[in-house]
Amino acid sequence: MGATTGLIDRRSFITMAGAAWVATLGARSTFALERTDAVFASAFMAPDGSFGLATLTEAGEIIERTALPARAHGMAYSAASERTVAFARRPGTYAMILSADGSAEPIVIAAAEGRHFYGHGCFSADGRLLYATENDFAGNRGMIGIYDGTRSFARIGEFPTYGIGPHDMTLSADGRMLAIANGGIETHPDFGRTKLNLDHMEPSLTLVDTATGALIQKHTLPADLSRLSTRHVDIGPKGEIWFACQYEGARDDLPPLVGHFSHGEDLAFVSLPESTTAALANYVGAIAVNRNDGLIGLTSPKGGIAVTLDAGTGAVLKQERVIDAAGVAAADHGFAVSSYDGRFKDHQNPVAWDQHIVRLARS
Amino acid sequence: MSPMPSLAFGLALTALSLPAMAQEGSALSPRVVNEAAVPAVMAKAVDDFIIPGYRNLSDKTAALAKTSTALCKTPSTASRENAQAAFSELVQAWSTVEIIRLGPALEQNRFERFLFYPDRKSTGLKQVQAILAKKDETATDVASLKGKSVAAQGLGALEYVLYGNGSEVLSNKEGEFRCRYGVAIAQNLDTIANEFLAEWQKPDGIQAAWKKPGPGNPEFRDSKEAATELLGIFVHGVEMVKDQRLKPFYAGTVDGTPDKGHPKSAIYWRSQNTMPSIAANFAGLKTLFKVADMDSLLPEDSRSVAGSANFVFNSVIGISQTIDGPIANAIADDKSRAKLDFLTLNTADLLDRLNRDFGGAIGLGAGFSFADGD
Repeated sequence: MGATTGLIDRRSFITMAGAAWVATLGARSTFALERTDAVFASAFMAPDGSFGLATLTEAGEIIERTALPARAHGMAYSAASERTVAFARRPGTYAMILSADGSAEPIVIAAAEGRHFYGHGCFSADGRLLYATENDFAGNRGMIGIYDGTRSFARIGEFPTYGIGPHDMTLSADGRMLAIANGGIETHPDFGRTKLNLDHMEPSLTLVDTATGALIQKHTLPADLSRLSTRHVDIGPKGEIWFACQYEGARDDLPPLVGHFSHGEDLAFVSLPESTTAALANYVGAIAVNRNDGLIGLTSPKGGIAVTLDAGTGAVLKQERVIDAAGVAAADHGFAVSSYDGRFKDHQNPVAWDQHIVRLARS
Repeated sequence: MSPMPSLAFGLALTALSLPAMAQEGSALSPRVVNEAAVPAVMAKAVDDFIIPGYRNLSDKTAALAKTSTALCKTPSTASRENAQAAFSELVQAWSTVEIIRLGPALEQNRFERFLFYPDRKSTGLKQVQAILAKKDETATDVASLKGKSVAAQGLGALEYVLYGNGSEVLSNKEGEFRCRYGVAIAQNLDTIANEFLAEWQKPDGIQAAWKKPGPGNPEFRDSKEAATELLGIFVHGVEMVKDQRLKPFYAGTVDGTPDKGHPKSAIYWRSQNTMPSIAANFAGLKTLFKVADMDSLLPEDSRSVAGSANFVFNSVIGISQTIDGPIANAIADDKSRAKLDFLTLNTADLLDRLNRDFGGAIGLGAGFSFADGD
């Protein structure tokens, strides 16, 4: 038994992933996302330098782990299809889709020729399609790869993101639009993760029609914020799109780092207190919304801090020191926050958590 | 004299087993950045490596501009060889400082204008060939050359002018246009090198920011951010050699089968500067590590991390210097290929030592490149 592969033949997949890793996929019972107490999933690095994905309880205890062929970054969950996807970190070449009930083997897809993954994506409302942010690196334009879950996640098409350097992407509340954070930074796999255009970045936020791929709305940033990379998004309690940024300009500037917008409306930045902007080190690594509680959660690994905002007023409700703060996701109350040094909520685990956490349910 | 690959590799494996990394549950001291030590390290990096490195670069670009001007004035085989020698010396100087891919190097496309590589689609080659074929006069003036594609105005373009097809015309009057294009490139490189030096020498410029991390600083708000940037030079530098300099021409031996190689994808293959350039990349990193006193950032009980990194630096520099001649020959030769395999393995090992062992030991969490968010 082995992994089913969507776009790459098994042979090249094994070359990519390593036979030892493929062997671990055989025992499907070893990684059961169906456990009712599995509430979160996050990627990690083990002490020996290997990479994996873990499920965790509401309290932050690890339930199970599975190995990954290379470092993962963002994840997404579909309640409709009960599937979870983990994307390789940019410039990544694989994504792995796991079924929640363990009824199917993990599916690994490889990036198409001339494309690489950026590390984020989401499922369609019915859970059938998977959308991934990708780089058309020869054309230096962001793309949305579309994969069909009924056909082993074969790549069935692509839309543009209408921007460069897309990073995070999420589905609108009505399921009809993809909200994309085009970070505006040009990269090319030939140059690794080197940022190639810091003096002429083009950050933007776009809404794209899931049915046609048409551009519905595009917000570029004003010239004085051209170095503000829009990177992560989540959906607010009223369906508004929240976004969080990472600033590539002077370290002693105090740029806005968080904002929101709705279809047909302008961008609205939250004016954070200067002390909060400084504490975030001009860098938000992850954003999450707790829709039940009406809260926005932010983490900054560079600032070593987790911040909770009121989604209605933007007011800072909580500012907590978390050394090497990594991921944030809605918890039963408030947020679950993880760290590079192994903290997940109040539990210390012997792994380095990666930058993002996914909640395995629509809260 | 470098040890034979087999012996050196054996030593490297021994070094691997040193208890260098902060392991879970170990009794090593807590891993926090030694903030008090950082400003001195940053100052030494600037004053004893970056500024002297760019000064040397500027000397070498000036020398090249001079020898190539002389070549145009009195073309001969000897003056052509002089210009080629000045080019190789410039490659050495650049390869030493190109690891400083930040600050002024990122502005105005200076880095790419100095060196555009990799050029997988041969964009630069085609443009340079077109300039030569059409005798495009706008390429012979340094002001208008600057406005042309980055691929037509840097080291790659100049290497083709001096060593590419038809370059023998430089030895006589027929090479007049080609020679003037070469001079314009050399002058362009000289201008960029002087800009690097001027930017770093400005007393209130980037050097001030590097030397005094803190609130109100445009680069680093605290010493941890400064230490992260400095460690980034090492991690990104070794990554560059591994992924962008070695891998494009030789991917190593996998399951006993050596990669057949792509010699024409190797950087500076025409001038046979591929391995000298790689050796200079590593030597630059090693020098920076030493002159900046990077080991002063380590807690007392982890000083061995610096020693083992230095050991691997020496072994990759030594082996790179023993691979000479055309790179195609090295890939085809069993003995040289074994050296390339050794170099590939040890480069990956060096990356791990700097990224995880050193980064972890100086207090940068799970390792440098793990912690860069995204």
